[in-house]
Amino acid sequence: MDFYFGLVQLVGVHTLLGLSAYIVLLTGQVTLAQAGFFAIGAYVAGMLTVLAGWHLVPALGVSALAGAITACAVGFPALRVKGLMLVIATLAFGEGVRLFFFNFDYQIAKGEIKLGPVGGEGFRQIRFFPENGWSTFEVMLFIWAFVVAIMALLWWFDRSRYGAVLRAVGEDEVAAQSVGINLTAVKVSAMTVGGAIAGIGGGLYAHYTTHIEHSSFNVLVATFAIAYPIVGGLSSVFGTLLAVVFVQALLVEGLRDLGDWRNLLFGALIVLAMNLRPRGFLDPQALGSLKRLFGGDRSA
Amino acid sequence: MKKLALAVALAFAAGGALAQEKTIKIAGFGAKSGVVRSFGINSEAAMLAAADVINKQGGVKLADGSKAKIAVEFYDDRCNAEEGISVIRRIAGTDAVVAIGPTCSNVAEPLFGILQKKVADSGDSGLQFPVFTDVAIKVGLARISEWAFRNVPNEMTMYSSVFYWLHQKHPGLKTVYGGVEDDFAHSRASWHVVMKDRAQANGFAVAGESKWLLNDTNFATQVREMKKANADIVAIAAHPFTTCGVLKEMQRQGVKPKILVGLTSSSSLETLQGCAKQAQGMIIPTSFAPVSKEGKYAAEQTAKFKGNADLHSMAAWENMFILKQVMESEKITGKDVQGDRRKIREGLAKLKVTKGLLGDTKRTDDREADKPYLFVQAKGNDWVVLHNPL
Amino acid sequence: MDGVLFGATYALIGIGFTLVFGVMHKINMAYAAASIGGAYGGLLILKVMAAPAWVVFLCAFAAGGVLGYAVYVTCFHFIPLSSPLATLMSTVGMLLLIDEIIVHVTAGMPQNYPALFDDVMWRAGEFSLRGDLLLVFGVSVLCMIGLLALLYRTKLGLATRAVSQQAVAAQLCGIRVGRVNAMTFVIAGLLGGIAGALIGASVGMLSPLLTTPLTVKGLIVTVIGGLGSIPGAIIAGLLVGGFENVLQLYRGVAERDLYVMLLLFVFLVFRPGGLFTPRGARD
Repeated sequence: MDFYFGLVQLVGVHTLLGLSAYIVLLTGQVTLAQAGFFAIGAYVAGMLTVLAGWHLVPALGVSALAGAITACAVGFPALRVKGLMLVIATLAFGEGVRLFFFNFDYQIAKGEIKLGPVGGEGFRQIRFFPENGWSTFEVMLFIWAFVVAIMALLWWFDRSRYGAVLRAVGEDEVAAQSVGINLTAVKVSAMTVGGAIAGIGGGLYAHYTTHIEHSSFNVLVATFAIAYPIVGGLSSVFGTLLAVVFVQALLVEGLRDLGDWRNLLFGALIVLAMNLRPRGFLDPQALGSLKRLFGGDRSA
Repeated sequence: MKKLALAVALAFAAGGALAQEKTIKIAGFGAKSGVVRSFGINSEAAMLAAADVINKQGGVKLADGSKAKIAVEFYDDRCNAEEGISVIRRIAGTDAVVAIGPTCSNVAEPLFGILQKKVADSGDSGLQFPVFTDVAIKVGLARISEWAFRNVPNEMTMYSSVFYWLHQKHPGLKTVYGGVEDDFAHSRASWHVVMKDRAQANGFAVAGESKWLLNDTNFATQVREMKKANADIVAIAAHPFTTCGVLKEMQRQGVKPKILVGLTSSSSLETLQGCAKQAQGMIIPTSFAPVSKEGKYAAEQTAKFKGNADLHSMAAWENMFILKQVMESEKITGKDVQGDRRKIREGLAKLKVTKGLLGDTKRTDDREADKPYLFVQAKGNDWVVLHNPL
Repeated sequence: MDGVLFGATYALIGIGFTLVFGVMHKINMAYAAASIGGAYGGLLILKVMAAPAWVVFLCAFAAGGVLGYAVYVTCFHFIPLSSPLATLMSTVGMLLLIDEIIVHVTAGMPQNYPALFDDVMWRAGEFSLRGDLLLVFGVSVLCMIGLLALLYRTKLGLATRAVSQQAVAAQLCGIRVGRVNAMTFVIAGLLGGIAGALIGASVGMLSPLLTTPLTVKGLIVTVIGGLGSIPGAIIAGLLVGGFENVLQLYRGVAERDLYVMLLLFVFLVFRPGGLFTPRGARD
């Protein structure tokens, strides 16, 4: 059973990563920076629980804050760059964060061992969970408490004016502006929220893997962050969750029996998925049909 | 009728009991994808080969005197930390009693981190499953948990021996220059913590060091620095890809140190395939070469399962036999999975000496191995034994 | 100096990215992987017969073109233009797939690559020029000239430029957009194949490890040069290559990449259009 709990934990953390990109993607900004905020959250939370002895919950709060502040700072210059240039700029930022941690040393001696991140060697022994006797099941619930809360928040955004505003900016900036929407506020706020979510996700990541290093936050992670919402569809938060389950549970674990073929199928299935469903698994039509199925009659 | 039915039933039962072979499952895991694919393939082959030999000899003797066959199942962790953790949890959920792996040090560290740190600590909810590592070589990892054991060469001892021997054999050589792959935990530690330290301890002066990254392709600046330093010995702590890149650059710039020392992991087919010409004469300490009868036999058997015998995969081979010995001495039952896992852990912890393919291996207090080693040198298209320091 | 010469290879990759972007306003993330794939393709001929280096290069050239077409068909042909994110993602999928195929076929081991003029070194005091890198530079320059000639002197080039400026109008003029797009990919692929082969030759070995940094650097070069501008990509490639090397000399390897990122930021803040913003670029 532990294995399944562990898998659900993994799905949870990756969903947070995906959701942090989701909200930014809604505004039409394709960001490869989420791995950077994820990394910041991870190191901050790790340092607070290991070096300062904090409890995990306030540590995650600080990670969220750190992620949000950094994201806000990135959000402003990001306004100057449009479209695919933003992709590259955010990629560069993400790599910059990774390289920063590659060079970052901060160790404190506790007893006879030194704890803390050591540049290229990484940050080990982030053992808040096992040291405090949390079982795999409890960790899973903890992680999912955050996931559910954040999904609920985003889902609520989607049904409120803020969500409409976000999507309006994503669809057509000029039109949105002409209706009086403040582009700067919308785009930067989306980036900030995304940063906060990534910060929490990163903090959780650090604790359930117990060891982080710069290479844990590379370009591939950044790519996965946007892959989840894109493959899942930007129409609904559940799309992202579906995509994470598809990738992590189905492709990674489910296809394990196919041995070598698994890796080949990975890339191939993504290509196929995008060809067959360019707007994601839960695209507007699918969502419409699902709504009709569950919610009674609604105008599509 | 009833008597007949009873007889038939009994016959079936008896037949069933006879046909029911007991198996003990040993899991293997490592990288079977990506650039480091060959490691996983070789380790799996070695494990399957060893299991085959053990089973042909009758299998493992259980506590109740019966014999069980060993079954091996290998999982791919793709050299990814999260996946490694997922895999070990999956393994722990099966009836496997021990796992051999992982390949990558960046998987081993988080993986050991989720294991229970101290066996006596009941408040520690870490996983209670013994892991016996064959490949992941980054210095000092087994210390992380009492359930983690490693059978990997001790770079400190080996390089100490290399520099000692070099100092003895070539008293005229004075300086060492280092080249290090700085963004890979293992190679980085190998230069900064091991080679540099050991060279100095054995009377050499470190003339400097050049750094590069795992993915680098251009080494001009680094080799230029190397050329300026003009050291007698150049020690390269990097994996085959960049090692070859640097060696080729050195050839281009005409840098010819008197002695070349390499990283343990680079004493493999990859390096020779990439730059045999430039690597000629490179000296590497390694914990395996097919010199002994057992070594040659192990290599042959592994080849039957399409694997290559090198220091990494042969550690997996050794592990299998060590585990068989431990299982028998601790009298595992084959029925109580968690109990058997505990016993195996206890057994591994108790070991002071194990049998290796180069000779006896001492086990240290922090669950590492002090493996016998020899020095190999690149000659032609092979790694040839240069010197046996033992 | 080496940096600048190496920069020529970055320039080639940058051109490939920029070409696709310029014509289709999409990014092909699989480009660098396809070019390395093309280089590997070049090696295939060696399995059949012992061939001199330039034959291998030619094969890489051809293989690159084939891969380019494959990427076009799988990632761009069927997906409607209104879903840029989908094409982005599918090219990522292709990137993973190509990488994986390479790893599978070679079992992850680095492959030796034939180099030309491997041992030619010209020395001038402190400085030395690698003969083979000069060749790389030379071939790159030839390719760039060839490409520019193609774009500005041939019908296909004219069609390509027309499609990149106004796809609908071009279609109305009778230009078959689908075919032009496919050809763009093939040409970019051919360039990529050569670039991959040249990189393999200058490094001396091919490994799937090459793909990621090449993708990142190629994209950076494309942005600095201006998305859609070929001369921009050329200059940016050389600039980044040289810059990288100089930085490594002064600040060491660990910080080198950090500074390349900073260079990118400087450009994005002060010249978001890159070095040469193409006229009338609509995003």
